[in-house]
Amino acid sequence: MGADAVLEAATVRLRPVKVSDLPLLVRWANDRDVRHWLHRSERPPSTLESERERLRDRTWAEWCIEAADGRAIGLVRLRGIEDSQGCAELAIVIGEKGCWGRGYGTDAIRLVLRHAFGELGLRRVWLITDADNLRGQRCFEKCGFVPEALLRGHRLRYGQPLDMIAMGVLRDDWAPLRSEGGD
Amino acid sequence: MISESILQGERVRLRPPAETDLLAFVRWLNDPEVRYWLSMADGPDLTLESEREWFDEMRADPAQVVWSIETEEGKAIGNLGLHGIDEAHGRGTLGIFIGEKEHWGRGYGTEAIRQVLRYAFSELGLRRIALGTDEDNLRAIRCYEKCGFVREGLQRAFRLRGGEPVNAVVMGVLREEWEGTDRGGSDGR
Repeated sequence: MGADAVLEAATVRLRPVKVSDLPLLVRWANDRDVRHWLHRSERPPSTLESERERLRDRTWAEWCIEAADGRAIGLVRLRGIEDSQGCAELAIVIGEKGCWGRGYGTDAIRLVLRHAFGELGLRRVWLITDADNLRGQRCFEKCGFVPEALLRGHRLRYGQPLDMIAMGVLRDDWAPLRSEGGD
Repeated sequence: MISESILQGERVRLRPPAETDLLAFVRWLNDPEVRYWLSMADGPDLTLESEREWFDEMRADPAQVVWSIETEEGKAIGNLGLHGIDEAHGRGTLGIFIGEKEHWGRGYGTEAIRQVLRYAFSELGLRRIALGTDEDNLRAIRCYEKCGFVREGLQRAFRLRGGEPVNAVVMGVLREEWEGTDRGGSDGR
């Protein structure tokens, strides 16, 4: 699959991930505060090799999120684009903690949704997030996602079962939101 | 992955699928009434060749296990699989279909699922099994509830069937819930 398109808004720019991003990806993946919110909390630390291997996984279309000053601050991904159901799963991580809570994630997701529902012609984008990740959920709701299911004990965090929430946004919900936003 | 484990219930037996089963799989999955409820509903018809490709991928994939469901007479009537097995997080997803329609509604699916839950929780050591099914597949939902699955939510317009979006019910069962029932077997003290 892979992400070839470059997507741009005023505050963020999404570009394909490069091999030269690998050291950054390893640093983000091994940051305790970042891992806390990811399935990675239960997996061995990342290495250059493991991140390189992950980049080869073409089931995800992956973009690097750049702030307006060109600094790479995170990743956003879509999986399942090619399946005939018109659905894809979204995942996002802001690896630079200093950029948390500043709206970069919201802007990046809005760009990806516009691409998904526009160019890619998808009907539905969904995601799962930790039930206690309230900041994440607020951001997803701002982008049009609606909570759809509570997945009990869906993952472990430090060996303890953790509920996750599945959220979804349909093209039909999203189009009016977008025109309200006036972009 | 092909499990060596044969799971024996009272009326069903789950055994590893063999290459000789593939013709039956193709026939079942191309039956409009069977595929109506499955994710390939709107996809192209399967062929022996496409099914062989699926079989080889499945065998090579450690994250899934598939069994053939047999009646007590030894007749194969459908398939059951655990998919997306994630050992680090202790979970998997269940998928089942009964391809021989005259065996629908006779409890074979329920018994097969109970055998596989026991295997998933006690042999594989998983904590959670989840599944998704069409919102209007009431027979399946009743069967899953009998096996201990609990409704966890509704994913809107999750798939297309006859070109129309269909909602999916998400269901899950946790090991501790399953252990607390007679299906788990090991309580009582």
